Amino acid sequence: MTAAVPLPRVEAVSIDDRGLSFRATQDDVVDVCFDGRRIWSFWLLRDSEPAAGGRFAAWPSQLTRFLQGTTQLSLVAHVADVTLYDAEVGFGAGDGRVAVVDEDGRPLGLDKSNRISQTFDTRTPEQVVPLLDSIEAVLAALKTAGIEAFPAYGTLLGAVRDGGLIGHDSDADLGYVSKHSHPVDAIRESFELQRRLTELGFATDRYSGMAFKVDIIEADGASRGLDVFGGYIAPGVGGAPPMLYLMGEIGAPFEPSWIYPLGTTTLEGRTLPAPARPEKLLEATYGPGWRVPDPAYQFTTPRSTVRRLDGWFRGQRAQRNVWERRYGTLRTVMPPEEPSALARFVLESEGVPPQLVDLGAGRGADSLWFARQGAGVIALDFVTAASGAVQQLAAAEGLDLTVRWINLVSLRSWLAEGARLAWTPGPRVLMANQLIGATNEIGRAAAWQFARMALRDGGRLYLEFWRGEPRERTVTELLSPVPDETVVAELVARGAVIVHRENLDEGTAPGKPGRPTTRLVAEWPR
Amino acid sequence: MTPETHQGSTSLRQRVTRKVVRAASGGVIDQLTNRIDELEAEVQENRNLNVRVAELVDLLTELMLPLASQDRAAIEAALAKFERSVV
Repeated sequence: MTAAVPLPRVEAVSIDDRGLSFRATQDDVVDVCFDGRRIWSFWLLRDSEPAAGGRFAAWPSQLTRFLQGTTQLSLVAHVADVTLYDAEVGFGAGDGRVAVVDEDGRPLGLDKSNRISQTFDTRTPEQVVPLLDSIEAVLAALKTAGIEAFPAYGTLLGAVRDGGLIGHDSDADLGYVSKHSHPVDAIRESFELQRRLTELGFATDRYSGMAFKVDIIEADGASRGLDVFGGYIAPGVGGAPPMLYLMGEIGAPFEPSWIYPLGTTTLEGRTLPAPARPEKLLEATYGPGWRVPDPAYQFTTPRSTVRRLDGWFRGQRAQRNVWERRYGTLRTVMPPEEPSALARFVLESEGVPPQLVDLGAGRGADSLWFARQGAGVIALDFVTAASGAVQQLAAAEGLDLTVRWINLVSLRSWLAEGARLAWTPGPRVLMANQLIGATNEIGRAAAWQFARMALRDGGRLYLEFWRGEPRERTVTELLSPVPDETVVAELVARGAVIVHRENLDEGTAPGKPGRPTTRLVAEWPR
Repeated sequence: MTPETHQGSTSLRQRVTRKVVRAASGGVIDQLTNRIDELEAEVQENRNLNVRVAELVDLLTELMLPLASQDRAAIEAALAKFERSVV
């Protein structure tokens, strides 16, 4: 195969701290190696921009923090395996060799999605044994739960193409095709599957109506997440062929007999289940060129497939990933002791409530403040780890503070919690500080319904949010203003009575103008 | 993978053609474009029902009987078990 591959021409290469400059007229995928080890791969034309004298490819931002010192940098045509450029290169002011490694010295590289990770080409055969064990364990668990799954995406590609894990890949994926032919039934089956795995003792984390992650503890104690992608085959309508839709990228004409009954494939010497016609699934996944390796592969999923998968299955993780990242480093750090202005207002208005529900509790500062004053507090959030430090302290102090997970864009989540609160007698205060600007229209509608359930025996909803026209959220600004008229209209439409409405300017930092903020108190007539 | 995925840049000729056609249509093209946007949004609204219906059915089948039992311990156990698998 190698002999037939035309060699890309790369000329006038120069490297600096910003990126690579070169001349090339033909697109091809090239590995960037530091001291002989692949660090990154890119397409010469697709992933570069025109620049004076040729092309310029900037270093991926995930890599720039490592660019200190010198390295033997080579550009290698990935498919032909021919070195196109090779020179000693210096970066920054640092001396020594460039080391793209994690804090424990393990080698890192960029996978096809430009995520910095321990790619498989940096691991010894012994080091991938735990992953292979995990794949087999999860496949067995899925089978116990009645689902015949198989390696999918890059894991299937590597197995079928080379009998092993792909060097530039960093994770393993599993897939299955539902026996159902309607999205609702396939989603229900996925819910049931997750429940069975939970009963079997696996920790899971749902991505969408048809995909979730299974966490497995490996022999060395490390935790690994394997993604399980569900799919279903929509029957052909009006002479059209049946279509396979498999999360998260596949929509293609497909025959059920190309999947089941399963055959086998070999991955790093282990025999694993595989679709009956794996080449058919690989073509549906990567196109007809799936046999040619591409370490910088980008899905070009048709808009119609993206819209279908989005519409049928997605939407239950709105904002969750960004908040998980925001709180990721703060899990063991105590929040500021000072309560929010809204918490103080609640105390002034209600005294210490016997039951307080902090909806969108975040790091839990207000929850802790109320619990220390004797309130029974339930702190609800979709990132419960954010209040890790508060949870520990509350347990040590013997406080009545319970933290539970809630997701306002998942009906099952908020209805279950709403049912629990509705079953727990007595009036309570429901407080939501800056929650409204952190969720979307669906989450807001859920919040009002949830409040109505939670306040069935009486009590009030206290809200504070940034007032104004909604705007695009950014990496640093995760809250969007919401028009106060909208919030009031939504609450009233759901039977609430607004008993207090106040506009204020929330202070941000000394000397800076405050943000327009609205404070509302609502109750539902009994 | 297919031609419909390559919707990135449009050529100058395409852009000019669109402008001319738009101007000649007396607003009909704009009306139709808006209508397509509306229809696409409505299609997605309908597709979104799949997850909601599946969630409701799952909730009813898993929690309806325990909640109807009036047994506080059974309710709490059912809720805890259900919520563990919803994350």
